[in-house]
Parts: sequence; C-alpha cells; structure tokens
Amino acid sequence: MENYKLTVNGQRKEVTVDPGTPLLWVLREDLKMTGTKYGCGIAACGACTVHVAGVATRSCVVPVSLIGDRPIVTIEGIGQDPVGRVVQDAWVSEDVVQCGYCQSGQIMSVVALLKRTPKPTDTNIEQSMGGNICRCGTYVRIREAIKAASQQLK
Amino acid sequence: MLCSYRAMVRLFFIILVTCAGWSATPPRASRQSGSRKETATPATREAGLAAWQQVYSVLTHPRCINCHTATNYPQQGDDRHRHLFNVVRGPEGKGVPGLNCATCHQGANADSTGVPGAHNWHLAPLSMKWQDLNDKILSSAEICRSLTDRSKNHNLDGLGLLKHHEEEPLVLWAFQPGHSRDGTARSLLPLTHDEFVAATRAWVEAGTPCPQNP
Repeated sequence: MENYKLTVNGQRKEVTVDPGTPLLWVLREDLKMTGTKYGCGIAACGACTVHVAGVATRSCVVPVSLIGDRPIVTIEGIGQDPVGRVVQDAWVSEDVVQCGYCQSGQIMSVVALLKRTPKPTDTNIEQSMGGNICRCGTYVRIREAIKAASQQLK
Repeated sequence: MLCSYRAMVRLFFIILVTCAGWSATPPRASRQSGSRKETATPATREAGLAAWQQVYSVLTHPRCINCHTATNYPQQGDDRHRHLFNVVRGPEGKGVPGLNCATCHQGANADSTGVPGAHNWHLAPLSMKWQDLNDKILSSAEICRSLTDRSKNHNLDGLGLLKHHEEEPLVLWAFQPGHSRDGTARSLLPLTHDEFVAATRAWVEAGTPCPQNP
C-alpha cells in the first residue's frame, strides 16, 4: 500500500491504496465519488471518463500511481467549469439522458472536445465521441446537445 | 637522373598508399551521412547494408510498425489489428480531443491494467509510414529510402537517426513493452536495445546505405 495525495475537483485528497489500483476505484471506493461509472473496465466504453490535467482519461485503466501531481476533475466538479456548465445545461435542455449510466462519461468527453474545438463539425463529434458507448442509443440527442452547447460558446 | 626517377617512383607509392589508407578507413559517424554515400567502399557498404537489415527487422516488428501506419488509426497486437475503441490518428498523431492517445496511454506501462505507456505516446507521421494502405509492410529499400529522406524524417541526418534510436522514449518502450491485460508478455523485438543501437551506428557509419530496389 502507498500513500497518494491527489487534487480532485480542486480539493486535496489523500488515499492509501495499492499502487496498481485504477483511479476509478480510488474515486468510487476510497473517495466515495460515485458519479464516475464502471462500465467495461477496459477503456472500451467511456463511462469512467474523467479529466486528468485537462485530458479526457479512462480512469478504469489508469493506475493511481501514474497520476502524479496532475489535477483530476470528475463529473462532480465539471459544473464549476464554464464549458462544463454550458454542456450540463444543454444536456438538461435537450433532455439527453435515458438510463443515464454512461452520461457522466459522455459529458466529460464532450467538455474535452468543446474546450479544444468549440465549433465542432459532425466529423469532429463522431471522432471524439466514437469511444463513448450508450446502450440506450441517445446518440442523436447527444449530438443535438453538443451543437446546442457549441452555440453558447464563443 | 636515376636518383630523380627513383624519388618520383617512391613519391608515387607514398601517394598511392595514403589514398588507399583513406579509402579503407570507415567514415566516422560524426561526419554528415550525405557525402559518405558516394565515398563508402564496397566493403563498407556491404557491412552497412547488413547492419541495416538488422535495423529493418526491428522497425517492421509490430511493436514499432503498429504506430508507423499508413492509415488514419493505430494498430494493436502482433496481428496488427485496428486499434479498438474507434481511436483515430487526429491532426497531430495524438488522437482527437476526448479520445487522445493519453486518454489511456500514460507515461509508463500500466502493469495492473495492461495498458502500454511511455512519454508522449503518439503515432509516427504519415511520412514515416512503414506499410501500405493494404497493410503490407514496405520493403527494406522503401523504408530505408524514407528513413534517410530528410524531407520526410524531421530533417534528421545519420546522427539524428542514431540519437532517435538511442533515446526516444517510444523507441525505448518497444524494448520493454510490458504485458497485456491478461498477464501475457508482449512479444519482444528481435534485437536488444544495445544491439539495435549498435546496428544503427554501424549503418550510420557506413553512410546509411540503402538496398537497391525493390
């Protein structure tokens, strides 16, 4: 077991875990932040996406020992971010969610997309979101919400 | 008169031996490779080509060629299948926002989850593709020509290529690729890193000769 000091949503957190523990389980089990979901465990579905130093990251495959001092933002904190706030508002106004299980990961990926590409084309959306799977099939509403959020961004 | 004739003959032999000595001396890696191609002796060229074939055996191994693709996506595994999860190349060879290489690949191998990693994980540029669009590995001559074309290789001379093979983190990763999620060790390159660097150095010192077509 090792001790790790993490910065999560701007707050310092300390955990003592096995170095190989995926960040996902540190968030969910040790820090009790259950907004980030376990989907596949192999980075294939995107449900576990968080931001590490601003990069959308699949927390299920990243051991906590490789995080270092990079700041982490989860779905619980993304609303503090201006782009994150706009995206969450668009998600509500477009009524995107069905079961909701994948949506925290969807939103984290969309925020990463819009921060770098505020006016994404359909191709940009397909390429950036192609790794986030939704078994309810909310893809059409996700696309509409991305475009709605994009219109709110400069 | 006779003395003068003997002196001239002696001088001729001295010049001849000196020239022969120069031409038999292997060029040093510290010189520019471009000018050495023309001056390499057949023996040097032959040794250089043999060294190149060793280098080629590494470059075309899946650990290397999976990221030297001709496609809009990276490849995975010894069967060089398309990278899972709809990963695409992106404008800088690092994926796209939301789905970058760094979305999964960190600065080191993730032993507990099986995801390979090294600093600045990314695809090689398309100018350094080592396969065609039909997934066929390019020939030794084709890759050698690309690798030594400074308009394609980020303007690296022979020494620059040697340094790349010695120090680039992604090259170093290929020699310690870790293991897959199921615990199976990834297959290793045909040479050790020391052997690879030695082969590259021998090739560079021979003037980076390339095989004739094909």
